[in-house]
Amino acid sequence: MPADPTSRPAAHRRRPRAAHILGQNSGLILAAAILLLSIIVFAGMFAVQQGRLPGDFEITSTVNNTMPLALAAIGQTIVVLTRGIDLSVGGVIDLTNALAAIFLAGSILHMIVVSLLIVLAGAAAGLINGLLVGLGRLQPIVVTLATLSIFQGLAIRVLPQPGGAVPAGYTSFLVNTNRPTALVFLALAALGWMGLRRSRLGVNLFAIGNDPQAAIALGVKAVRTRIVAYTIAGALYAVAGIFLAANATAGDATTGDGYTLTSIVAVVLGGVSLFGGRGSAVGAICGAFITTMIVNILFFAHIDPLYQSFYEGLFLVIAVVFGGLIGRLVRSGR
Amino acid sequence: MKRLALSRDALRVLAAYGAAVLLFVIGAFVHPGFASFQSVTSILLVASFVGLVAAGQCFVILIGGIDLSVPWVLNAAAILLTTASLGQDGRALYAVSLTLGMGALAGLANGIGVVWLGVPAVVMTLAMNGIIEGLALGLSGGMTCAACASYAPPAIAAAVHGTWLGIPAALWLWLAVIVVVSFVLSLTRFGRATYAIGNNPRAAFLAGVNVSVTVVFLYALSGVFSALAGILLAGFGGQASLGMGTPYLFQSIAAVVIGGVSILGGRGTYLGAAAGAASLTALVSVLLALNMPEYGRSIIYGVVILVLLLLYGREQRE
Amino acid sequence: MSAAAAAAAESVAAVAAREVSKAFGGVQALRSAPFAAAAGEVHALVGENGAGKSTLIKLLGGRLPPDSGAILLGGTPVRLSGTADAARHGIGTVFQELTLLPWMTVAENLLIGREPRRALGPIRRGAMAPRAEAVLAGLGITHIDPRALASEISLAERQIVEIARVIIRRPHILLLDEPTSSLVEREVAWLFARIRDLSAAGTAVVFTSHRWNEITSIADRITIFRNGAEVGTFDAIDEDEAITLMTGRRVEALYPPLPPVPADAPAVLEVANASLDGGSELGFSLAAGEILGIGGLAGQGHRELFLGLFGAPPLPRARVTVGGARTTIARPADAIHAGLGIALVPEDRKGEGLLLPLSVRDNLTLPILGRLSRLGVIRGAAERRMSREIIARLGIRTPGPAQPVGALSGGNQQKVLLGRWLLADSRILLFYDVTRGVDVATKHEIYELMMRLAGEGRAILFYSSDTEELAHLCHRVLVLRGGRIATELRPPDLAAEAIVAAAMRDADAG
Repeated sequence: MPADPTSRPAAHRRRPRAAHILGQNSGLILAAAILLLSIIVFAGMFAVQQGRLPGDFEITSTVNNTMPLALAAIGQTIVVLTRGIDLSVGGVIDLTNALAAIFLAGSILHMIVVSLLIVLAGAAAGLINGLLVGLGRLQPIVVTLATLSIFQGLAIRVLPQPGGAVPAGYTSFLVNTNRPTALVFLALAALGWMGLRRSRLGVNLFAIGNDPQAAIALGVKAVRTRIVAYTIAGALYAVAGIFLAANATAGDATTGDGYTLTSIVAVVLGGVSLFGGRGSAVGAICGAFITTMIVNILFFAHIDPLYQSFYEGLFLVIAVVFGGLIGRLVRSGR
Repeated sequence: MKRLALSRDALRVLAAYGAAVLLFVIGAFVHPGFASFQSVTSILLVASFVGLVAAGQCFVILIGGIDLSVPWVLNAAAILLTTASLGQDGRALYAVSLTLGMGALAGLANGIGVVWLGVPAVVMTLAMNGIIEGLALGLSGGMTCAACASYAPPAIAAAVHGTWLGIPAALWLWLAVIVVVSFVLSLTRFGRATYAIGNNPRAAFLAGVNVSVTVVFLYALSGVFSALAGILLAGFGGQASLGMGTPYLFQSIAAVVIGGVSILGGRGTYLGAAAGAASLTALVSVLLALNMPEYGRSIIYGVVILVLLLLYGREQRE
Repeated sequence: MSAAAAAAAESVAAVAAREVSKAFGGVQALRSAPFAAAAGEVHALVGENGAGKSTLIKLLGGRLPPDSGAILLGGTPVRLSGTADAARHGIGTVFQELTLLPWMTVAENLLIGREPRRALGPIRRGAMAPRAEAVLAGLGITHIDPRALASEISLAERQIVEIARVIIRRPHILLLDEPTSSLVEREVAWLFARIRDLSAAGTAVVFTSHRWNEITSIADRITIFRNGAEVGTFDAIDEDEAITLMTGRRVEALYPPLPPVPADAPAVLEVANASLDGGSELGFSLAAGEILGIGGLAGQGHRELFLGLFGAPPLPRARVTVGGARTTIARPADAIHAGLGIALVPEDRKGEGLLLPLSVRDNLTLPILGRLSRLGVIRGAAERRMSREIIARLGIRTPGPAQPVGALSGGNQQKVLLGRWLLADSRILLFYDVTRGVDVATKHEIYELMMRLAGEGRAILFYSSDTEELAHLCHRVLVLRGGRIATELRPPDLAAEAIVAAAMRDADAG
């Protein structure tokens, strides 16, 4: 074996493996830490005021309320990883939520078929975004801004007035109100993410987010990867829309609007880089739960709900600044 | 031999103006009187609100940023104007300065967050939107405060509705803004710095451009323009209302992009963005004239933006 | 010329181009160019920038399709749909612009597309780093940490990973476009050893380089390109003749004579206590009319020194005296306006120097807009006049001052960057690898310009990755090592060999 001709003096001592893991996952670790902290703070406040720890009811309602956001945030993560951004989240959730409220009925088989069709509808919406971004070579932010308007319009066409109904059986299957069984679906989603991370597609997603030109030179099919990314994201928004309908047991064609911005917030809190190529859906799930916990904490702190967005905005800025600071510290502390 | 060659950017601006004219022509066909002087000026008056917000949005998009705090800066401005003036002309000047100052402050904070705290523009301005929303709602008790029922000072309402040479005063103001902003962007040192930063901030920095101060100033300007639009809207409608700023985020970005400004920064003019604002408003007016329901307007709105983008908004192929 | 190579040349070409043409916009990058490289042969492509070498590599590597003509593999025409398709045909390419993914680890980059997998297909992420470690060790590389992110390792290390990634795929045809641009001698020697291994195993190797000594030391055959056309293929050719063919004219003396530094020339830039790596400190002084070279291996703090003197970011604790007055340079604007005016021509012309979509005029006048404007409004007529003057003075080939800089050739872009600082009338010029990736003719023009500037009494701090340049163009050379000045070389000791020796003395011990 030839001697290493390029070796240099001691300046190039290696960092321990743990340092790499910490440094390369600082966003995810920070998100998990903030989530843990917020849970502890919430439990503490709850215990002081209620004289007991949060029980099944509190945990279940937190999980059920967060499910749509967590799912939307996973979709947003996949798009953001490719250096994109998806503003049509709200529109797709509106549309699928409306579809769910109208068509979910009848036998179990029928409901399964309808659910699958709704997910397909979400995927189709994502496909349109993907085609416009990939083949149309348009900027994601403007494409999804335009499709947001289109999907919102379609949703109102489908369900002009809030209403419809989701069968109780369907609701209790997805969002059991007594036990946080919805966590099972979240675990499935996280498992799916881990599979994606270990697949050709996952590598390609990260590659085009890192450097699109380099990825193409490496043989990555960038257009196809982008289209698939937006399509998967669309399908996930549809699942979010279904969960939202199941949780509310009815539909509303505007209830999803807020998810465009909150999904971005969850992704950012989850340590996913808006510049693409770095991040984890697990972090985004943490981010989604952090946003719910903040609302819970504000409630127990007896903050006037009118001020809620003030504190959320402030927290977002502080978390991002703090996260950036930690990331820089970890990287420079070699 | 010099041939008059129109650059890609100039073509985009022309396309945006062409779209506006075309929409007025279509409107005249579907609804007699649509293209009358009266009707055109009133549509352009509505467009001027979008246009003013788009001026600020144009500044920050030119440097590759974005301002998502538009809705609540605008809304808070309208609330602040009415509550501070209590509908009295005597307090109008004080209220206007206070409101513009609030806009500048919000924009300044955006700029500082983006430049010195290193927060991505999307996140910083999104958070600022929430912060202002919370403050506006909280301080006004959800618009239940005693002063919240106040009207805009009559002087401001008159300034928006009043006409000079048959054209509403707010439209004159917009025209002046178009001239000044275009002049600043194309012929001044500040404008050159803006384009340089939008193209390559690092290279601009190494060429001696004061990148940080310029960027912060641009965000502050965006806040001022949002506040200005809020003042005019309060004067236009008489009162402030919750959620009145919401449509302006979407519309200002759409106007800027339709006007040929690259969302990546560095390319485009305010002249184009103004045309974008005019054609968007004309489109909505045509659809309203057709008695199009809300969902249809929303869909067509999105489709038209996509079609325009596909026509000339493509990224250049590598 | 070895007998083996002669025999190889006669055998069927492993890879060939038959009359390929390629145009970008209106510019014909390649016209009916023939090319053939045989198995087991090391074939050098030489020519000025814009001669079509990189385009040919991109066509052979499947990155771009030819407009006309065909690519042949083993005598059979093939249509390559992309780099992945080319890889299936056994073609591996190291492109000029590095393609490492910055936020992925060295291991992920190295093994992309051939990750270790489980039986059912998922990638074994835990096995990536050990696999990469073993693969790199097999190539004789042990100093690069496979767990580090690509953005955390040095430019030279990145280039080595890039090369390793292609080599480990055992291509039958290896295309290397300027693989040595960031490498120093030792690393080049490593690369050439790998190339010899591969060619001995029957791989056809095609590579481009601007460094003649590299070409002669490794190439079995040399093909020369000029203006998108092939002008000849040789088993051996001497440098003067090759340069004549490349440029189409005879370049008499490549390095112009140095104007002497007057004995009483004042020191215009003095630096003390400058720390490049947070540890050891250095200091030096630069006189008016002097060209001071900075040499040494890559990654020894050159970049930090040049950017630091320009305030981007400033050197910690450094005491800088400009034109005799103590000066604080916190940002580039301070440097530009400091005393006599400091200018920096950075390493990365496109990323740090120019605003490519903006006009030549905008690029030229950006630092002097303050002087050019009244109350913030730019005086258009004066600006146009000044930019036309500088375009004429430097012979910048552009249709006009309104032309976007991105549409100019590399050499002309570099001239715009130099012209910017002539307009600013900077007296202290920091030139960081100004001739990198510039064709021979423009290089020569830049050399002459440097001499002229020094003759006018301007002081130049000059770094070059080409030690020959340092040896011929500088009055003195400081060799950096580990953030310190290891040696100062003056004539008659000033020679390329001496610079290299000084740069590597300690590295051998380590």
